[in-house]
Amino acid sequence: MGKNVLLADDDQLLASLLNFRLKKGGYTVHHSVNGKEVKEYLENTMPDIIVSDIMMPYFSGIELIDYVRNELKSNTPIIIISSAGNEQNVLTAFELGANDFITKPVSPTELLVRIAREIDK
Amino acid sequence: MSISKTKNLLGQLSQLERTVSEFSFEELNAAEAKELKSSFDIFRSSLERHIYTPKSDLIFSKKKEVCATENQEISEKQFITHVSHEIRTPLNSIIGYANLLKEEKLTRGQHKKVDAIQFASNTLLKLINEVLEYSKLSSGNNNFETVDFNLHSLLKDVMFLCETLILDRKIELLIDIDENVPKIIKGDPSKLSQILLNLLGNSVKFVHQGFIKLEVFTKEQVNNECLIEFSVADTGIGISKEKIKTIFKGYTQAEDDTSKKYGGTGLGLTITKEIIDKLNGEIEIDSTIDCGTTVMFRMPYAIGNATTAPRKSSKQNTKKKNSGLLAGTEILVFEDNIMNQHLIVEQLTKWGCEVHVDVDLDKGLYLLSSRKIDLILMDLKMPNQNGFEVSKAIRDHKNSKVNSVPIIAFSADFTEQDSKECQEIGINDFLLKPYTLDDLMSTIVKHKKLNSEHTDFASILQKPMIELKETTVVNLNNLLKDCFGEIDMLNELLKLFKLNAIEFIGNVKVHLKTENLKEIALSAHKLKAGFAMIKADGMRKLIVEIENSCKTNQPEKVKELYEIFLNDYPLLEENLNIELDKMNKK
Repeated sequence: MGKNVLLADDDQLLASLLNFRLKKGGYTVHHSVNGKEVKEYLENTMPDIIVSDIMMPYFSGIELIDYVRNELKSNTPIIIISSAGNEQNVLTAFELGANDFITKPVSPTELLVRIAREIDK
Repeated sequence: MSISKTKNLLGQLSQLERTVSEFSFEELNAAEAKELKSSFDIFRSSLERHIYTPKSDLIFSKKKEVCATENQEISEKQFITHVSHEIRTPLNSIIGYANLLKEEKLTRGQHKKVDAIQFASNTLLKLINEVLEYSKLSSGNNNFETVDFNLHSLLKDVMFLCETLILDRKIELLIDIDENVPKIIKGDPSKLSQILLNLLGNSVKFVHQGFIKLEVFTKEQVNNECLIEFSVADTGIGISKEKIKTIFKGYTQAEDDTSKKYGGTGLGLTITKEIIDKLNGEIEIDSTIDCGTTVMFRMPYAIGNATTAPRKSSKQNTKKKNSGLLAGTEILVFEDNIMNQHLIVEQLTKWGCEVHVDVDLDKGLYLLSSRKIDLILMDLKMPNQNGFEVSKAIRDHKNSKVNSVPIIAFSADFTEQDSKECQEIGINDFLLKPYTLDDLMSTIVKHKKLNSEHTDFASILQKPMIELKETTVVNLNNLLKDCFGEIDMLNELLKLFKLNAIEFIGNVKVHLKTENLKEIALSAHKLKAGFAMIKADGMRKLIVEIENSCKTNQPEKVKELYEIFLNDYPLLEENLNIELDKMNKK
């Protein structure tokens, strides 16, 4: 069984491409488009890794890190996707316990390498 | 009369329909084919609506039958004018798309079928024009011009047109203009050409071998007035004495089977006689069966003034090889019929023009001031907007860059009143729909502004940040690699991309009204990834600019940039489709 990836991104286009690449890479992907769905999913399942955009309806990527680390008390690796040029986001994300950070435009190949690195740790 | 005409029209129509349905659209798989078909459907339903709807002009309903004959005639004429006008527009699309289809790579069989569609629709068009002309003439609606014109060059043009009709037959075309015929005369040149073309066209139809001869001489001249006699003699099948008596009455072609064998509406001579009568001329026919026919007509003209006669502009060679003439020309089209929009954009794009289609005056004015538009094409009779008014607003604009752009008007119906109004407003030229591609091109070439001293877009926005052309560039190579070369995945992604772009356009439109810049910034932000994926760097920069202008609270700038996006995005999508097509074919 492939490792489970939770992909949280409301950008259908980018998500479709990443979804495609992750599946090709042997992962099982669950894709959510907003914070609410993410929360519901995480209440029942803990994936092997979470990949999330910072900007999301209802529940930002930053809030997601906080929720996973502090409420669910989980150490599941989290990779945050965000636009370039927002240093504060990077700092906050790492402070709250994000494992890695990748800036847009996202190279799917790069993301896969980073995911593999986190899971294999 | 109109009932028999309508039957005839319906006959032509089903002929056209047969041809269209024989055409294998699946096989062709071209967007034009679909458009052609839908054009046709619209055309048909519009015609049917007029014929069968009891609420329409009512000439077929029982009530009207009891009306006085006079009234009935008037309503018939109105009906004919109305219907003819309405079906000319979709017919224009049929002819246009058939022309475009012919430029595709077709098999020989397909080519033949497109030829058949063209032939049928052109026949139908001729028929409609004749019906329209006849109804105008008989309702006294027809106004005649009185202008100075060069009779000799008119005759030369008419003969040239006839030559093209008889290219491959054993018929000699002769012309003899007497020395006493004045060069410049005063009268209606278009009506004279129409008469001559009718008569010569008849001869071409009925002559199988021998000659057709046009003779012109001055029969009388008193001071400034002259009576010019024209005669068209041919060695055709001839007309019997009895038939000559009725030949000028509508719908009486000499033999009942004449129209079957030779085609035509049977209105040509009726129209010719009506015109000659109205111009105080006279017409006579002399004919011997199997020997030939001579038609003579005499028309009074005043001797004209050479200095006021317009010089004939040299004919533009508009063959395909010269289409480079228009490359890079930026044209703004005001047209709100979707079908015609597609058609004209497609054609102009093929010629290398950059085309903006607009229906909104404000947007048009914005484009005119921000881009370097070389020429405006204006549909005069848009359903929701008056082309005259739009043209006037452009001419009255205070910016000389806006008000000096040449305007070419087009319309399916062009009255003298329209022509006057065009002149008053400052419209430079006009095209009658349906126009041929050559007409379109030569008119554009004639008028396009060669000296483009416009300021460019960058200076309008003060801060140059985007190279214009850049905004339409895309490159799918990387994305295809990211898809591991899987074309289906690429197709799917691009479908999503286009949806996002459309959503963005809608979102921004909504939020611009309330100047909700925060929402627009968010929308723009979301769109960036997509443009990055397809390596549309220019457009991505534009989006970033929109996002930044929102953040710095500059609604006016956001609006300007959004307009540019609206303009350029279709071009980008077109490039995208071209790229995708290439990849799909590989």
